[in-house]
Amino acid sequence: MSVFDVLLQQVINGVSLGAMYALLALGFTMVYGIIELINFAHFNVFMVGSFIALWVFEAMGFSGQSQVLYGLPLFGVLLVGLVVVMLVTGFLGVAIERVALRPMRGFPGTAPMITTIGVSYILFNIILLTIGANTLNYANPMPNVRWEIGDATLRLREVLLWVVSFILMLGLHYFVRYTKMGKAMQATAQDQEAARMMGVDVDRVVVTAFFLGSALAGAAGMIFGLYYNYTSFIIGYTAGLRAFTAAVLGGIGNIPGAMLGGILIGLIESLGGQFLEVRWTDVIIFSILVLVLVFRPAGIFGRMAPSKS
Amino acid sequence: MSTSPLEHARGFLPIFWERVRSEQWRRGVALVLIVLACAFPLIDGNEGDLDAAANATAFATLALGLNIVVGFAGLLDLGYAAFFAIGAYTYGIFSSYQIQPEWSSFWEPFQWLGFVARMHTEGVPIDHVHFQVSFWLMLPVSAVVAAFFGIAFGAPTLRLKGDYLAIVTLGFGEIVPIVARNTPYLTNGAMGLNGALPPQLFGYNFGVKSLPFYYLGVALVVFLIFVSTRLKDSRIGRAWLAIREDEIAAEAMGVNRTKLKLLAFAVGAGFAGMTGTFYVAKLQTATPEMFTFPVSVMLLVMIVLGGTGSVAGVVVGALLLQLLQSWFLQDLTEWVHALGRFTSIGFLERIDLVQSIELIFGIILVLMMLYRRQGLIPERMAVAALTHAQQTAVPSRGSKVGEFKPLHSQTVDSKRPLLEIRGLSKAFGGIQAVKGLDLTVMPGSIVAVIGPNGSGKTTFFNLVTGLTRPDGGSVTLAGEDITGEGPHLIVEKGIARTFQNLRLFPNMTLMENVLVGTHTRTDTGALGAVLRTPHVRHQEAAARERVMEVLGIFGNRLMPRREHLAKTLSYANRRRLEIARAIITEPVLLLLDEPTAGMNPTETLELTDQIRGLRDRGISILLIEHKLNVVNEIAEKVIVLDHGEKIAEGSPAEVHRNEEVLRAYLGRTATAAVRAAAAS
Repeated sequence: MSVFDVLLQQVINGVSLGAMYALLALGFTMVYGIIELINFAHFNVFMVGSFIALWVFEAMGFSGQSQVLYGLPLFGVLLVGLVVVMLVTGFLGVAIERVALRPMRGFPGTAPMITTIGVSYILFNIILLTIGANTLNYANPMPNVRWEIGDATLRLREVLLWVVSFILMLGLHYFVRYTKMGKAMQATAQDQEAARMMGVDVDRVVVTAFFLGSALAGAAGMIFGLYYNYTSFIIGYTAGLRAFTAAVLGGIGNIPGAMLGGILIGLIESLGGQFLEVRWTDVIIFSILVLVLVFRPAGIFGRMAPSKS
Repeated sequence: MSTSPLEHARGFLPIFWERVRSEQWRRGVALVLIVLACAFPLIDGNEGDLDAAANATAFATLALGLNIVVGFAGLLDLGYAAFFAIGAYTYGIFSSYQIQPEWSSFWEPFQWLGFVARMHTEGVPIDHVHFQVSFWLMLPVSAVVAAFFGIAFGAPTLRLKGDYLAIVTLGFGEIVPIVARNTPYLTNGAMGLNGALPPQLFGYNFGVKSLPFYYLGVALVVFLIFVSTRLKDSRIGRAWLAIREDEIAAEAMGVNRTKLKLLAFAVGAGFAGMTGTFYVAKLQTATPEMFTFPVSVMLLVMIVLGGTGSVAGVVVGALLLQLLQSWFLQDLTEWVHALGRFTSIGFLERIDLVQSIELIFGIILVLMMLYRRQGLIPERMAVAALTHAQQTAVPSRGSKVGEFKPLHSQTVDSKRPLLEIRGLSKAFGGIQAVKGLDLTVMPGSIVAVIGPNGSGKTTFFNLVTGLTRPDGGSVTLAGEDITGEGPHLIVEKGIARTFQNLRLFPNMTLMENVLVGTHTRTDTGALGAVLRTPHVRHQEAAARERVMEVLGIFGNRLMPRREHLAKTLSYANRRRLEIARAIITEPVLLLLDEPTAGMNPTETLELTDQIRGLRDRGISILLIEHKLNVVNEIAEKVIVLDHGEKIAEGSPAEVHRNEEVLRAYLGRTATAAVRAAAAS
């Protein structure tokens, strides 16, 4: 393989990973933009999402990667999976907000963040105790269609992943930009009190942000399973931290920034794994996290929502 | 008079607490607990239980260390286990078979010191070095190494606010175990260190027995409880709490927050380093998995459960969770298994409840945060409210001139201006908040700054006190240029302030709030606070006496409440407390930002009197005030600001007649109406 092909292959891999991180990063960034909360529960909403999608596929009669579909049936199955997982994780996010976080709204300091660590632990251990520590083989109806570009391979699942992520991000962008609720979200992010006085129902805005963020995390969870053909209770932490790094890199609170940050982290992971050593990848990513927060806390693209403290 | 049993019972608990709080009782209780801890191995001879208890002491010391960082200084550290790891590997590397350089004469002096041994293996031509530095030496050395890492990591990151700092520490906490895993030369990677040495004491080798480690662990816990309590109740501890409560206010009261945050980080890391050494010596190995995120979270759960900031609480939290894990859940699992066999329910036969410990951690975190954030043993016990009689006692006015010592010791040249401001400017984006401001305050005068809302008055105060850095111009205090100095340095030089929207330390007592103000005028360091030298004792006593004197200015408004938390005060009393806190920094110039806001006419009158009293005791005053009757009453000079510019300056009477001022306040039409009314 020539250097160019290696590079191309790693860019394909990196963009795929990055699209997934971007979906996950959006949830962090939306919640942080609106109520300045780092939501650790998000890590494991993603993990739960991958299990829910697995159960949906299994309920539709798939197991392993042997039964594949083509054309419209494939799209149908994937769409059902996506819709169900997004609804379930979306409402999981809403439930977390209502039960654990709304009573603490407006508390100063880090108490709400500590609560999200607790919620994250609860989700993590419920899955661990009920499913067990084993890695599960993912039910995956996608055919192993691939295209050769030089020595690099582009697989159908990557293209689908890109398309799904792109559509979801575009949808979110339009939602935030052009709908009434989206504008209410922007207003709340700028100044919660002022938004409230202008008639914005801040509680609904926050719930909506949790719903959307968690739904996107669920979608990312399903994509993770389809991409890697496995899922496990443990996937939330690493992917979550990487996605969080992506959100920070793009400027936390900044929606387009989170998308770009996700892609960047994906590329860093794949290219770093290729040209350095895989075992140092996490050190690189966490160093980026630390360095960006210390030297450019507004992220490389700057912050969209002003800091309120 | 006889008391009914009910009354007696009701009275008992507060009296009991009162006693527990008293120094003597606390010492007594501590002694009993230490004796119980020492007697424990005699009561429970089970080796497994003892081992678990020995491990629990290690987590108690870690929780104590994390409590300094999170509980005292309010810096959420999610990667605390990293410092534990650093301490562990520092000891592990220097007293194990991990690194074995070839023997050369270079090592001879170290051999003579007993740090290394010459190791000869049959059939191997070259001898090697065996590191065997004494545990007792490495215990403080690891603490220092970990503290050094704490400072090195903290220096660039500690200026980040709460949640960002949490994430940065989390990142650091991830990096350290990965580095340990990826550098097998130093750490033997995931396999774990080779044969770390157990401690020896007077020829007695601790080996793998739990008993000596248990006693060593108890000794460490007792030592660190002692250090924590001494620190907390000192100048250093109060500065930490002040930072936790309100960073900006702490700095405006003279606390150098960067330095004190670093100190908290270093002390916390030092505790962890020491524990790391203890833990490795006990296990005689160390693997990277012992120091990952779940460990940091477990320590956080211990603190949250026991009571953030409460020394007794975190120890109880740590012991409870450790013993829950290693004693109770194991026993419970066996009982459930027995039940399962009895009822032949397969699920019950197989379930391992020890595995669910993290689920329990998560539930504890959420429930404690939602329903009992102060923890099982709160940092503060409730103080009995004042009785109706005490509350309604007629306020006695203080400020009796001449009865007290002057409030500051600086000599001020009465001929020269005390504060001289030239061309001070500040813009926020496109808004020019303060523009080319000139102002002179002569010693012993009261100068009022007035102006419509948004005219730049508070920004002006922030510029003078260093909270905001000016774009241009100069601020000179008694001939010394202080432009752009840090807030804590400006306090030290003699300018103190109050805040318009009140920035007290809500969860500290009145006494402690005011004591924070003595920070720049005292010099007790961390070591002094722990050793409590005669100098420190004397200084503390003097500071407390001073507080009583300053609280006395406000008669019996604050004095009877001095052991109450600041958050329980009424609005007017909060204003008074802020002034008291500012006065005790011994300022030559006091900046009061709307001191009478929210006070009723009687209270306003009282405070006006007291402000004048302060001036008579040698403090010059610059105040922002909206109540013009107050301004007319006490100010010798009035400055009027509008859109950041000075539009008038003079005596209150002059300013009232000024056209520009009328226009700024009332608008053009109203001004014309006023003029017409005056003419007719």
